[in-house]
Amino acid sequence: MVAAKINMKKLLCALCAGVAFLSLGLSVAKAWSLEEASKDYKGTEIKVIFLDRPGYRATIKMLPEFEQKTGIKVSYEIVPYESTREKEVLDFSAQGDLSIALVDLVWIGEFAESGWIVPIDELEKKFPNLTDPDLDLNDFFPLLLNAFGSWNNTVYGLPFDNYSGLLFYNKTMLSQAGFDKPPETWDDLLNVYGPKLTGTGKFAFALQSRRGETQSCDSFMRFIWPWGGSLLDAKFKPNLTDPKDQEGLEFRQKLEKIMPPGIVDFDHNEAVNALAQGEVAMITEWSAFYSTLTDPKTSKIVNDLAIAPEPKGPAGRKPALGGFSLCVAKQADDKRQGAAWLFIEWITSKAKAKEYVENGGVSGRQSPYQDKDFVAKYPFIPPMVESWQQGVPEFRPRFAEWPQLSEIIAEWGTKMQDGQATVKQASDEIDKRVEDVLQKAGYYDGKKTLAQ
Amino acid sequence: MGATKPKKTYSTGAFFFVAPAVVVLLAVGIFPLLFAAGVSFHQFLLPKVHWSGNFLGVWPIYDAPLTWFDNYIAIFQDDSFRDALTRTFLFLIINLPLELILGLGIALLLHQQGNEFLKKICRVALVVPMATTFAVVGLTGRLLFDGNYGVLNYLWSLIFHSRPDWLADPNLAFFAISVMEVWQWTPFCALVLFSSLTMVPPEIEEAARLETAHWWQVLWRVQLPFMLPGITAILILRTADILKLFDVVYIMTKGGPGSATELISLFVQRIGFRAFDQGVASAQAIVFLIIATVLSRIYIKLVYKEV
Repeated sequence: MVAAKINMKKLLCALCAGVAFLSLGLSVAKAWSLEEASKDYKGTEIKVIFLDRPGYRATIKMLPEFEQKTGIKVSYEIVPYESTREKEVLDFSAQGDLSIALVDLVWIGEFAESGWIVPIDELEKKFPNLTDPDLDLNDFFPLLLNAFGSWNNTVYGLPFDNYSGLLFYNKTMLSQAGFDKPPETWDDLLNVYGPKLTGTGKFAFALQSRRGETQSCDSFMRFIWPWGGSLLDAKFKPNLTDPKDQEGLEFRQKLEKIMPPGIVDFDHNEAVNALAQGEVAMITEWSAFYSTLTDPKTSKIVNDLAIAPEPKGPAGRKPALGGFSLCVAKQADDKRQGAAWLFIEWITSKAKAKEYVENGGVSGRQSPYQDKDFVAKYPFIPPMVESWQQGVPEFRPRFAEWPQLSEIIAEWGTKMQDGQATVKQASDEIDKRVEDVLQKAGYYDGKKTLAQ
Repeated sequence: MGATKPKKTYSTGAFFFVAPAVVVLLAVGIFPLLFAAGVSFHQFLLPKVHWSGNFLGVWPIYDAPLTWFDNYIAIFQDDSFRDALTRTFLFLIINLPLELILGLGIALLLHQQGNEFLKKICRVALVVPMATTFAVVGLTGRLLFDGNYGVLNYLWSLIFHSRPDWLADPNLAFFAISVMEVWQWTPFCALVLFSSLTMVPPEIEEAARLETAHWWQVLWRVQLPFMLPGITAILILRTADILKLFDVVYIMTKGGPGSATELISLFVQRIGFRAFDQGVASAQAIVFLIIATVLSRIYIKLVYKEV
């Protein structure tokens, strides 16, 4: 009996201790708040580069709340995309004053290998009290976290400004031509929709192809993956003369007859404007252009606009993938690193995801898109989410040498498109030059791992 | 005992007057040039090199491997570099004489007697293109030559019922950037030559006109000798400017389509700030500097003569 009493006592004590421990744990978890976590960082100023795009404008609208809650000042400089990498590389090389790196997915290899950005593991260890218990990396679309924020199996940044290539089309033009849905495949777009939608000064399609990243990413690479091709083979040898790559690139040449003349001078603005003015029926563009095409000030087709995933090629739907992550800069001192980590967590958090979308951004988290009423307000979301299920992380290689490769492809891709070189000649030239760059970088003599 | 050469003396005041200019020149001209020359002998990939201290507290040292003349050999083996260089010289050979001839025509018109009020307006108007920033000239060029919405194609389509792809066709794009170059810098030539013409003594010019009825005789024998220093200055300045022309072309075409308008400065920028291969880009810049200097010396030797 006594023994039983003692046991009961022990059991009660253990239960009480357990409850106390649990409640303490819960109270610690509950106790985490941005205001509390940031109290030592009041007055800290952090610097970041922004672009003049909807996601950044959304962030700027939301910033006062963050600054008010934390007392941290976020200074941003708006820079054109073309100058962003140059500005950041120079800043990080010269140990400048940027506290956050805005990283395009194709720069992540370069920034990580150069040691300019801090892995998230390291931040969590360094600033245990600053890490939001509700950070939940699994809530990000795996493709985005992998492609935008990770390099060599290490997570460096959180997806912030997220895009997918989509097919934007003028449903009225399609319906007048006898189509009640968009083309499912590239072949349909060219051979079925193309002839009926081209004529009398109108064109079926426009593909932005101006020299630069527009040519290499939006135009050239778009016709590699859906045909089952790739830029490099498994040993990193250039692969453009492979029959599948050649088939895709030859297909791109055939599109000329259903596109406006002078397509090699079309950048994003020209392509979007051609659709917005009702001059072309379809374009494949980044999801971020949704707001431009639905603004009556910039678009004549607000009520005619419809959106679908990019068409499929013989190897399936492999849409263009693009976007930026935010990473903490290694060059910043501890105070700024902590403040930067708080800001990055906050702007990409689950709690702020819907507000970010409502202000014009595109969240990389899955949770907001599970709310059907919310999704119904944004027609670009379902095709975009579908695209993110099927995208290729290495749509463009993400290693440090991509900018050099991009320049080569941009030059010879436009030469190919406007007939200064045949598809075969230009492919040979790109392969030769790409191999030279990768050779010098040390990929073929084992100095560098074959990661992309 | 032979006569000793008198020793030159300088006052302290003169030293302090000249010193600031020398210091600024050393800081912003000579030091970066020497640094670029040093970098050109290294494999200097900006994201991969690290600063490792200063030599004598001034000269920055990086952990970039020394490759001696590899970068120079590489650029002369690079077809794209040679093509860009050839393209740049073609651009120079076409546009510089055009600017000089048109500038001379305008200068001679302004030099004619009468219509003083109109001439004053013209002189002010001539400054406008030169005073326009390069970015604005580039954007104006895009608006002018845009295939769909350009002013030029609007007028062209009214007359010829077609719309050329000015910025998408390799030859037309080269023509388009040439037009903007000539538009912006012909006034500079006109104003320099006009000021040279005002140096011609009126009595000599008047006597020459009485002697011959041919205006070109007056131009060739009387006015041209007074214009030679101005022409030399134009040749040197415009050659240097055309060789480093970047902003207008970058905004209008980014060097495309293909590489049809990729002048050497765009090429060097691409290597230096896209690939961040500062070693090769510095070697290209040094080669480029040598070419520009040699050309300037040739101009001075062949054209410049004191009246």
